[in-house]
Amino acid sequence: MLSVRKLKKEYGKKQPFIAVDETAFDLKKGEILGLLGPNGSGKTTTIQMLLGTLTPTSGSIFYFGKDFFKNRSEILQHVSFASTYTSLPYVLTVEENLKCFGRLYGFSNGMDRALPLLERFGMLEKRHSKVSSLSAGQITRLMIVKAFFTDPKVVLLDEPTASLDPDVAHDVCKFLLEQREKSDLSILFTSHKMEEVAELCDRVIVLKKGKIIADDLPKNLAKSVSTHRLRLTIVDGMKRTISFAEQKGIAFQVNHRSIVCSLKENEIPGFLNLLMQAGVSYASILIEEPTLEDYFLKIAGKNP
Amino acid sequence: MNLQRVLGVFFRYFYVMRSGLHHLSDLFYWPFVDILLWGLTSLWVQSQESQASNLPLILMTGLIFWQVCWRGSVDISISLLQEFWQRNLVNFFSTPLKFSEWITGIILLSLCKLVITVAFGAVVVYLLYALNVFTVGWAFLPFAVSLLIFGWTIGFIASSAIVYWGHKVEMFAWMIGALFAPFSAVFYPVSILPAWAQIISWSLPTTYIFEGMRSILHNGAFPVQFFWISISLNIIFLAASIALFKFMFEKSRDKGLSRLE
Repeated sequence: MLSVRKLKKEYGKKQPFIAVDETAFDLKKGEILGLLGPNGSGKTTTIQMLLGTLTPTSGSIFYFGKDFFKNRSEILQHVSFASTYTSLPYVLTVEENLKCFGRLYGFSNGMDRALPLLERFGMLEKRHSKVSSLSAGQITRLMIVKAFFTDPKVVLLDEPTASLDPDVAHDVCKFLLEQREKSDLSILFTSHKMEEVAELCDRVIVLKKGKIIADDLPKNLAKSVSTHRLRLTIVDGMKRTISFAEQKGIAFQVNHRSIVCSLKENEIPGFLNLLMQAGVSYASILIEEPTLEDYFLKIAGKNP
Repeated sequence: MNLQRVLGVFFRYFYVMRSGLHHLSDLFYWPFVDILLWGLTSLWVQSQESQASNLPLILMTGLIFWQVCWRGSVDISISLLQEFWQRNLVNFFSTPLKFSEWITGIILLSLCKLVITVAFGAVVVYLLYALNVFTVGWAFLPFAVSLLIFGWTIGFIASSAIVYWGHKVEMFAWMIGALFAPFSAVFYPVSILPAWAQIISWSLPTTYIFEGMRSILHNGAFPVQFFWISISLNIIFLAASIALFKFMFEKSRDKGLSRLE
């Protein structure tokens, strides 16, 4: 559905800055592909190039086997977009906005197409309200409706759930999965909510400083982090536990009677044995496997 | 009254004003354009040449006609600015919309607004001053079309700057049009301008329209030649301004349209 090759965006001439550095990836039919990376890694720049609102310095973008730069209008008929970081004309009502956007996609019956989606997101009673009177969450839901009411084949979503309450965000994720099942559409998805990405995405591409540093399943990326979290509720011997952790060079965090140690899976038995020999007693023990969030923190340089 | 709070307010706007040359337009540009335009008009009104009984009609017709040009210009620029102000630019240009379709849509709206503006202005002038600006007869229509086309040209020139430099030059939407008024001989004949300004004046399509308008009001003759010169210049200017706008739009797309929101 989408094929990106050697895509590059370089800004400035005197002090060149490469925002996206020769990235290459494919988005398959019916796939939900996550695009992850710390701030400034090139996610939004990539999406802007995929939408044609930013011209790449070099590289190619093919949608449905056609060159995007030569068939922009024809391709965008089947591609749609939603982002928390853009808005819609706020002096227009919800209905007026959807009618206008419907026409931009060549539909004179935009509202008929949008009504079921407005109902799905609890926005039907807001159809005559001006966008300026909507909450941030309602605007985001309207953006989702705008992205899907034209029956796209590819949807690019730039942090679509960033301003939503957890329950609504969950509902949006559920909707995306439903749409994928129903229409076999392909979705490129960026988010800072790692649980959401892990739940939703079939595959994740990780960008750092404009380069793709990983392309794998979410669970494989999480597994690539060797550090587990050992959470202990200490009854007696907190000082001894801290002392052992320091001796072994294990990172830890203390909160009242609880200590969370970050260490490799194969180091856990030895550490527990050491505590037992020192007479440390604990009321509870929990070993947490690494998550996609741990992976994200690791590549962002915030976790060991 | 707390002096520090007063100074807080003062500096809040002072810093905005000195943040760029474009904010100094209120201090220098508009006074200069007004002095030029109304000063030249006053000079002409005082002259023997203007001692005709239809002077008010000439001035009022000039005013209404200039509104046609002005509206056309502002309509184009404001349409673009609305996408900036409402952070809709990326949404808008990530649809199948083509550049030519966007321009055609804006022009269509501008035509509708022209009819409303001119009708309203003419009624107000008639009610307040008992003057019929349609005295120029059917010549009004081609004149208005020609003025509107030049308005679009000015609008595309202003939009070329706005689409590249963004918010910091958004006052160009109003400024650039006003720059052409003194040279277009809206209220006075070209002959009262200095020689160097007459050269500029005769290169503008608007000048032929306003001279033609005065010719009709003076002696009832429709200056066909003036009309065709005006239309020909308009075609060249409009094509060049659209080409410039397209060029600047693509330059802006190089930097990313999202930066303008």
